[in-house]
Amino acid sequence: MMSLEQFENRNVSENGYYKVDIESYPETGWEKAKQVFSRTIRGELFVGLWVVMREMLKFDIHTVQYPKEKLPVGPRYRAVHEMQRLWESGTERCIGCGLCEKICISDCIRMDTRIDENSRKEVSEYTINLGRCIFCGYCAEVCPELAIVHGGRYENTSEQRAHFTDYEDMLTPFDMAVKGQVPEYPGFGAVTPHEDERVKSTPLAY
Amino acid sequence: MEAIAFYTFAILTTVMFLITVLTSHALYALSALAAGMIFISAFFFLLGADFLGAIQIIVYTGAVMALYAFGMMFFDTTRDVVEKRTSPQLIFGLSGVAALMVVAIFTAPIISGNIEALYPAIDGVGNSQMVGMVLFTKYLIPFEVAAIMLLVAMIAGIVLAGKKMDHSLTLMQDEIECINEEKEQV
Amino acid sequence: METAYFIETIIKIVVILLVFSALAGFGTYFERKILAFMQRRLGPMNVGPFGVLQIAADGIKLFTKEDIVPTNAVGPIFKIAPVITAATAFMAAAAIPFLPQFTIFGYTVHPIVADVNIGILYILGVMAVGFYGPLLGSLASSNKFALLSAARAAAVFISYEVITGLALLGPLMMVGSFSLIDFNNYQAGGMGDWIIWSQPVAFVLFWIAAFAETGRTPFHLVANDHEIIDGFGTEYSGMRWGLFFIGEYANMFFISFVIVLLFLGGFGDGSVFGALMFLLKMSFFFFFFLWTRAAWPDIRPDQLMWLCWKVLMPLAVLNVVVTGFVMMF
Repeated sequence: MMSLEQFENRNVSENGYYKVDIESYPETGWEKAKQVFSRTIRGELFVGLWVVMREMLKFDIHTVQYPKEKLPVGPRYRAVHEMQRLWESGTERCIGCGLCEKICISDCIRMDTRIDENSRKEVSEYTINLGRCIFCGYCAEVCPELAIVHGGRYENTSEQRAHFTDYEDMLTPFDMAVKGQVPEYPGFGAVTPHEDERVKSTPLAY
Repeated sequence: MEAIAFYTFAILTTVMFLITVLTSHALYALSALAAGMIFISAFFFLLGADFLGAIQIIVYTGAVMALYAFGMMFFDTTRDVVEKRTSPQLIFGLSGVAALMVVAIFTAPIISGNIEALYPAIDGVGNSQMVGMVLFTKYLIPFEVAAIMLLVAMIAGIVLAGKKMDHSLTLMQDEIECINEEKEQV
Repeated sequence: METAYFIETIIKIVVILLVFSALAGFGTYFERKILAFMQRRLGPMNVGPFGVLQIAADGIKLFTKEDIVPTNAVGPIFKIAPVITAATAFMAAAAIPFLPQFTIFGYTVHPIVADVNIGILYILGVMAVGFYGPLLGSLASSNKFALLSAARAAAVFISYEVITGLALLGPLMMVGSFSLIDFNNYQAGGMGDWIIWSQPVAFVLFWIAAFAETGRTPFHLVANDHEIIDGFGTEYSGMRWGLFFIGEYANMFFISFVIVLLFLGGFGDGSVFGALMFLLKMSFFFFFFLWTRAAWPDIRPDQLMWLCWKVLMPLAVLNVVVTGFVMMF
């Protein structure tokens, strides 16, 4: 998995890029002839031949044979949603506040809540229409409990769009949550790894 | 065997050239011309003149290819060309002459008995060598005259085409002026 | 005798047709693999072991695809054009000796369909006719890109026929025969006798012209994918397009054979070692076609003309003149 710092570094000047120096085009016939002659003598064509031959002999293949091998996905990649559970107790994190439903700009989240027997608010119905979802990530960002997050499952091919909307598929399995096998979500909307350093004491000026 | 081949190719060649003349479709005409020229080489092969046969193919494929280039430039080759007949008298006269020539050609075998080969084929010498020998002994002067004529035509062609060679066809006029101004400023 | 000769010729024709049709298929496989390796890819991997059966998959696909003739195309010519390319490629093979003569079950086999005494002229002529395939196909398909391709085909053909012919004149003057068997026998004495040592300029010129003749990468103008889609092949589909492909690859193999026979000693003295070396040398030239495709950029049509008429043709003429003087004195 690619680390977040590596992923965030978009500064191309540090990665060994440089500008190519291109000489000006010849204009007169004599200059053109000189260029042809010097290029012939320097054997630029053979340099090209050598380069590809070298690569063939090195056999340093960069192909990813996709269905068998998969490239790591960035931690903040926004693919199909996951609904998280609390560790140890395994109850759903979702408190049914409805912020995600409210903020969803493509209007694809629908939820129904009720008061259960313990007088707690409970989500009775939760659907995300992935046929409409544009994976903007607002729902994950706005969620106060880090209950709805974006996972890395990008292979969503199906015969029907309805297959994408199953809440049970998105929900983290109960036994995994109880055993503590679900890693805390590092991605979009989550607490960043070095959050402690950023915390400052609240100025109490008033 | 030889007769069958001869008549097959004779019919093929004639049909091809007929198509060339009669069709008003540029692509059909050119393709039929090329095919006819290639079928003619079969007669050379049948007569044992392999060298001339091969030369016929090489030369005429190139020549007809040049015609194709012209065809591409002047016509939409996928459509029929609308012909304009400006002087029916000329067509009438020319077809009369052509008919006379056909009669002459068909009656020519009557006097062909008088023709005999002055330079009969030599045994043990290859076809191309024989052509070379005849070309540089008996037909030396016609050969050289033809060569000079071709040279003249070539030079004339270069002169005609090369008149405006130092003008760029791809740069627009004001672009050239721009470049010239820049040069003056430098 | 007569029937035996007849049967032998038929068998040879069938063998050549089958072997080179199959080789054309394998040629596409080698091309994909070698290009992939040179570009740090793997190429076809999933159909059969190392993707070998990809050829079969492609074949099935080409045979079963719908054969489309566009509405505005000139039907008969559109249909006959791919046949011209494939047929002329195989017709040219008739005068190429593919192996030295060998004896099998007490019967001497000459692996050449017809040892005509104008062999090389015949091959050049028939390969020249092969250029009509792309030209007619592109003119008949009434497509702008195809029309551009036709113009380029005519230009390349007219210029590079000249180079091929003039480059060959030097070696022809030395050997004094058009037969490829005679060429081979002239160089049978070993590596020192190869014509490449006495005619290096002709060798390089012929090699360059071979690229134009087969339409391979530095001169891949006729069907340059990134400029004019597939040129003459834009409107073609299914097996008609496949015939163009077979013709192109068969041509590559045949021209590789011809280069080796003309300049690099052919099969030498006719021993088994000579035959193996012959195939090896041929494979190198075929490989070189693929190698340049990975390494070199395509040149513009005007650069192609410039190279032909201002550089290669004067060199070729000079080469003929110098050869003549050296032979005279």
